[in-house]
Amino acid sequence: MDGTHVAPEPAPQPGRFPVSVGWTQAAIAISSVMVLKTPMNLKMNIEMHGPLLIDFEHHAFSWSTPLEHFPVDAVHTGLETIAGGPDAPPLFELPGKDLDGLLWQIGLNSFDGKPAFWLSSGERYRLTRWPNLTQHSHDMSQVKMIAVLGNAYVSTEELARYTGVALDEAQRLVNALSLMRILSRSAEAPAAVVVQETAAAKRQSLFGRLRKRLGRSDG
Amino acid sequence: MAEHVILFTGPMGAGKTTSIQSLSEIEVVRTEANNSERHIVDKETTTVALDYGEILVDADEKVRLYGIPGQQRFNFMWSILKKRAKGMILLVNSDAPDPIGEMTFFLDEFRELYDRGGVVIGITRADVVAGPSLDDFAKALERTNPGLLIPVFTVDPRDRDQMVNVLLALIANIEMRAMFGMITEAETA
Repeated sequence: MDGTHVAPEPAPQPGRFPVSVGWTQAAIAISSVMVLKTPMNLKMNIEMHGPLLIDFEHHAFSWSTPLEHFPVDAVHTGLETIAGGPDAPPLFELPGKDLDGLLWQIGLNSFDGKPAFWLSSGERYRLTRWPNLTQHSHDMSQVKMIAVLGNAYVSTEELARYTGVALDEAQRLVNALSLMRILSRSAEAPAAVVVQETAAAKRQSLFGRLRKRLGRSDG
Repeated sequence: MAEHVILFTGPMGAGKTTSIQSLSEIEVVRTEANNSERHIVDKETTTVALDYGEILVDADEKVRLYGIPGQQRFNFMWSILKKRAKGMILLVNSDAPDPIGEMTFFLDEFRELYDRGGVVIGITRADVVAGPSLDDFAKALERTNPGLLIPVFTVDPRDRDQMVNVLLALIANIEMRAMFGMITEAETA
């Protein structure tokens, strides 16, 4: 000890929102509200980025921070549920922004590449609809993974293997699509039959050559 | 030389010509004439023959982009070109009188392209008018073509980045469908 006085950390105040960094707590809150299917909205206070308002009924959000500048390490200082429904005043001026874009970013940036808490081991996944990729910032490995999920039930491990993507990146994508509620989950779906080896497919891939030609060699 | 033909289809005014212009590396060959259907689309000229553009992948490989006329009186061209195509980008303008009906019509006409390749649907002018939502299009697809999972995106045909995303999503989807045996490699070539 050098004798310097260090003030003790203030004790947390009971009943207050625990300050959290990152988006895992937000993802859990959103998923919990969406599952309830009740007219309930959310307000999140985010340090330096102002309040983030979500209207689930209209599948919309309002936030002063553009998604192009999505703060991966945002500090959340408060979370509030607000009653919705036909008699409630609008949370913000509608139509707002499409909630899918926000869910995409939150899903990709939560759970640190581990499975979202609402997913179970042993499941396979398949898309129920494609995300609107022209509106979501994405890389080419995500396009490949989405194309796999659009055509077969696969586990996260299979998804990573078929596309040559790291497991945590595959998991982030599954988390995001699942938070957007555009993945169907099955514990019974059998492994998909692959008729074309992935190595051979990679060699012959027009996608691979074209993306380089078009300046999209990421992922 | 290896060639891959991609068709751009959809009703008049959906943005087929503009989309090809956004993607093509050569000056697009365009043939236009007076619009005889101005009661449908208020546009002085419209495509009545092929639009053609291309992307050179390398010295021995190119992607040929064909925009084909949206009017049904030119459907003799549709049958010629769809036999050669690997995939299709179907563009539907959100401000058309019946955009979902247009999507269903063109998808029916070109269904064989889905079966032996792939299709992506691009909804244009979605930011201009409050037309059907993407969910509406997806539900209509499920109703008319159960089991078909076709990518549906909003797109601005003038935006090259967006058009590149659409084209690459189409190619990725075709290749994954081949990988899982939903189409055969011989048929996609």
